[in-house]
Amino acid sequence: MRKTLIGLLAVVALIAAACGGASLEGEEVLIFGAPATDGPDGKAIQAAMDEFSEETGIIVTYVGSENFEQEIQVQMESGDTPDIALWPQPGAVVDAAKRGMLTPLADLGIDIDEYKSNYSAYLVGLGEVDGVVYGGANAVNLKSIVWYQPAEFEKRGYAIPNTWDEMIALADQIVAEGMNPFCFGMYSNGATGWLATDWMEDIMLRTGGGTDTYDKWVNHEIPFNDPVVKNAATLLSQIMHTDNYVVGGTDAIVSTFFGDAQNPMFERDGNGNPGCFMHRQASFIVGFWPEAAQGGAGTETTVFPFPSIDASLPKAALGAGDMFGVFNDRDATAEVVKYMLSPDSFTAIATNKGGHGSTRISAHTGFDTSLYDKAITQVLAGVLNDALSANAFRFDASDLMPPEVGAGSFWKEMTNLAVEGPGYIDTALSNVENSWP
Amino acid sequence: MTREQQKWYDKPVSKLILITIALSWMFPYVGFLISSFRPGESVKRTSWWSSIGNGQLFSELTLENYYEILFAENLSRSFFNSFAVSIPSTIIPITIAAFAAYAFAFIDFRGKEVAFIFVVGMMIIPLQMSLIPLLKLMKGGAILFGVTIIPELSLNGTFVAVWFAHTGFGLPLATFLLRDFMMSLPKSVVESAKIDGASHLTTFFKLVLPLSVAGIAAFATFQFLWVYNDFLVANVFMGIKPENLVVTSHVAQLTVGNYGEEWHLRTSGAVISMIVPLIVFFTLQRFFVRGLIGGSVKG
Amino acid sequence: MNKNNSTLADRLLIGGIRLLALGAFPLIWFLFQAILFRELTEVLSRTALIIVAILVGSTFIFLLYLGMNKLIDFAPKNHRESLYAGMFIGPALFMLSLFLFYPSIRTIYLSFRDRYGDSSVGFENYIWAFTDTEMKTTLRNQVLWLLFVVTMVVFLGLVIGWLADRLNRGEAFFKSIIFMPMAISAVGSSAIFKLIYAYRPPPSTQIGIINGLRVGSGKDIYGKQCGNNVIGSNGELIDYYREGCPNPVGWLQQRDLSNLPSFENINSSDTIMNLIVNFPINTFLLMIVMVWMSTGFAMVVFSAAIKAIPTEIIEAGQIDGAGEGKIFLSIVLPYIKSTIIVVSTYITVSVLKAFDIVYVTTRGDLETNLLAVKMLDEFSKYRQYGRSATVAVLIFVCVIPIIVINAVRAREETQT
Repeated sequence: MRKTLIGLLAVVALIAAACGGASLEGEEVLIFGAPATDGPDGKAIQAAMDEFSEETGIIVTYVGSENFEQEIQVQMESGDTPDIALWPQPGAVVDAAKRGMLTPLADLGIDIDEYKSNYSAYLVGLGEVDGVVYGGANAVNLKSIVWYQPAEFEKRGYAIPNTWDEMIALADQIVAEGMNPFCFGMYSNGATGWLATDWMEDIMLRTGGGTDTYDKWVNHEIPFNDPVVKNAATLLSQIMHTDNYVVGGTDAIVSTFFGDAQNPMFERDGNGNPGCFMHRQASFIVGFWPEAAQGGAGTETTVFPFPSIDASLPKAALGAGDMFGVFNDRDATAEVVKYMLSPDSFTAIATNKGGHGSTRISAHTGFDTSLYDKAITQVLAGVLNDALSANAFRFDASDLMPPEVGAGSFWKEMTNLAVEGPGYIDTALSNVENSWP
Repeated sequence: MTREQQKWYDKPVSKLILITIALSWMFPYVGFLISSFRPGESVKRTSWWSSIGNGQLFSELTLENYYEILFAENLSRSFFNSFAVSIPSTIIPITIAAFAAYAFAFIDFRGKEVAFIFVVGMMIIPLQMSLIPLLKLMKGGAILFGVTIIPELSLNGTFVAVWFAHTGFGLPLATFLLRDFMMSLPKSVVESAKIDGASHLTTFFKLVLPLSVAGIAAFATFQFLWVYNDFLVANVFMGIKPENLVVTSHVAQLTVGNYGEEWHLRTSGAVISMIVPLIVFFTLQRFFVRGLIGGSVKG
Repeated sequence: MNKNNSTLADRLLIGGIRLLALGAFPLIWFLFQAILFRELTEVLSRTALIIVAILVGSTFIFLLYLGMNKLIDFAPKNHRESLYAGMFIGPALFMLSLFLFYPSIRTIYLSFRDRYGDSSVGFENYIWAFTDTEMKTTLRNQVLWLLFVVTMVVFLGLVIGWLADRLNRGEAFFKSIIFMPMAISAVGSSAIFKLIYAYRPPPSTQIGIINGLRVGSGKDIYGKQCGNNVIGSNGELIDYYREGCPNPVGWLQQRDLSNLPSFENINSSDTIMNLIVNFPINTFLLMIVMVWMSTGFAMVVFSAAIKAIPTEIIEAGQIDGAGEGKIFLSIVLPYIKSTIIVVSTYITVSVLKAFDIVYVTTRGDLETNLLAVKMLDEFSKYRQYGRSATVAVLIFVCVIPIIVINAVRAREETQT
């Protein structure tokens, strides 16, 4: 028995010795994020990391999961964390940092001043805790856009609506012609409702006091059932609950998976009419389109800006994005982080290397937008950069609110609102207000 | 019983009832199985029953989905992981339980009653009760009253964490069942071995274990399928790194993951995941049913 | 050396060995296997790791017992019996304490703590558990699941078991069909039913059979046949997105019946209709998955119990002229009463722990949540560790009486 034990100990010792090594060559770094591994964004991130691996020999693997938000939470408790996590919610990065899970970027040898000069102050600020930078801005996407098909608009003489009233007028016209103006689907396993919260946020940015009110709303400096918020909910309800506005009817809104929602736009009925004409959804939705339609993004199917509501307010853009947090201070990890913060990390993504088809947009203000392979991405990146430099970019509010609200009651009550109809607005808003921790 | 009298269950109507039940139980598989052999694009374009109706199905049947799921999607790796999880997670608790059951059945010692009540008492603990603290124990160890009992381990994400988790969850029932089984063995056999001067270890290995094979096989079949089909424990302790996925968590990812509604992969993946349990089920049906009946009190 | 000294030495030795066998040795073994495999995970290739895991992982446990056996050989002969008891039972008690007992106590403790377990909050989490609207829905669903699934499984199991038992041919085959879902994972079963319930927004082709048949069944307002985007005999596409054709329904997203056409225009003063319209159809459809999976188990157990009924008893009933129904109710049912209780217990406990079905189909959205999913949601989605522990304790509290009743019954039976 003793011999066996000693033998086994020796094996362990040998193994331990074999583990040690100084060169970064062959070191493995794992990045975990929300975009699915095999989806366009996941493939794009991997493509960028493969370029890095070729140069440095550090093997970087990207893994994505639909349940990222929950799984990273379990991982933090289990200790089985990735090296780098790409969070869609800056609030979660801050939370993890406050719990001492993350390494400050400065500890990885990142020049914070340089980082701050390359990224918008608003985004940098989202990843800071008491002046220490934990979250690294990475990708941004634009949500204040409405997808449409120019050919279908031209054929019928429709003009792009610039204001909310114009959009409603156009919608009424389409209904009068026997068709449905909007595609709207908000089912999402465990996250049903976020599409409606996006609409709310876009409306909030364009009514009341604009971005100022928006910030107050996010920080709960105005109550959730404030008249401004109620007005936003009423406008949203107008879209969801007016007869024939939404393809499939109001019932379809909650039932339709958000990734399927645009499909009616690409279908044609017996008279050659599309199922819907307008679909308000973020830029990443292209990855969910039917494969045949994806090639036409930016040409056959493209976007117009979310119409303005209060003309006196400056233009604002709602968006979201990925912010990464780092779990250790290994040298290899530090190298990857440096790469991720440099514009080079987006070249492979922008140029569609390997045909991943992603529309990820770099948050780096110095990134050359002309590199984007897709016309649509160039346009969107331009809009985003303008908004970021004019401080008119705002992050998705539900990603900034406490999880009980942002991932809980806000989603849930918007889902209820969609089902129950306009009479439920007051109840919905006061329920969210009461759930604020 | 009179032979001439035709019983109602021999009448066509009751046959019809049984056939209806059987068909309705079979029905859910049909569309699923068919979809797993159809190309992804057709699955989205034509419903599976229309494809039978217009004959399209027969020209488009393909094994492509299975190749894709096994090799491109790497379900084959998850498949082997499932074995690396299930086999030790079956053997470890059974071994520990068999030893304990032997002691409960054949050795007299102080505190036997208390120890047995403790074991039985553990049966009522649903695994949700211990899940999260166990997860933390596997990570940072355990400190009780300021004394470090278990040092920091960082086990999560390795097979060993799942083995021990399943050992904990399966042990009370295994001990209970095997004790019952061993109690039913003739006591005289063990006693005569003792008189011959055989040690407990010898008696255990040479006599009791061979006699308990039926009981052990029943529980083993149950535990193996339980672990193989388990999703929660694997998901929590193994995590979602692609190289750590087991079949169930892989299939769950495909089913929850909605990227482009890839039904052709969901179906073929799930069908593959069902092969092992069905083989076990059809070959070891006798043991499996026994194990299930015994396992009916698993907490 | 005199006799007294040797006894003291013996005692110390035995005490030492006992300590080693019961506590230290299992602990060392546990740590050794844990660390060994953790390190092996780092260095071995995947294939090698899997082979080593299966071979060594399964057999490593024997080292523990062989090692302890060697230890006991050092003890004086007359003390070995009790040491052997310790050796045989020690590891089991150790593992149970470490992997079940200690974590459960910790969960109970955490249920009285705040979000990250930093400070005590008294019974606040328990108050939350019974007042929060989402929790109330979850509890309601849990009760519905218990009532419906347990009743249906026991009922169907009895009926099918009774019928199958009387089949003269094909009994095994028939039973296998019903039993098969029991063998496959809940994840796989959920995937199967997710396809049946599938919904796609109109005018896309419906690939779920319920919606597919539904949309293809109607006629539009001009009396033209609707179709699930099939090609008609004249090569024309027959769709369903026309006025008058039935709309597809997102079955798993319907928390009541109010979106179904037959219930759309009900009078709000009609109480009975209001009750019916509030029927949670999505929860019900998820329960069907569980019934489909569990009935086979009930059937097999009942069928075995029915077979064990002495034929004379049934024959006596037949001679008395009792019909099949009467025999079933007055002879078979009372005879297998305890089996029914065992089966109900099993189904009840598995419903209380049901996790996979809801997790892979709806994630608890639209009022379909169950306690086991909610427990993980509170932990990972809302980062409320205290509340998560509270939900776990609730599951535990529900399980206790069921098991206790069952255990008491079992004891009574063995005594009589």
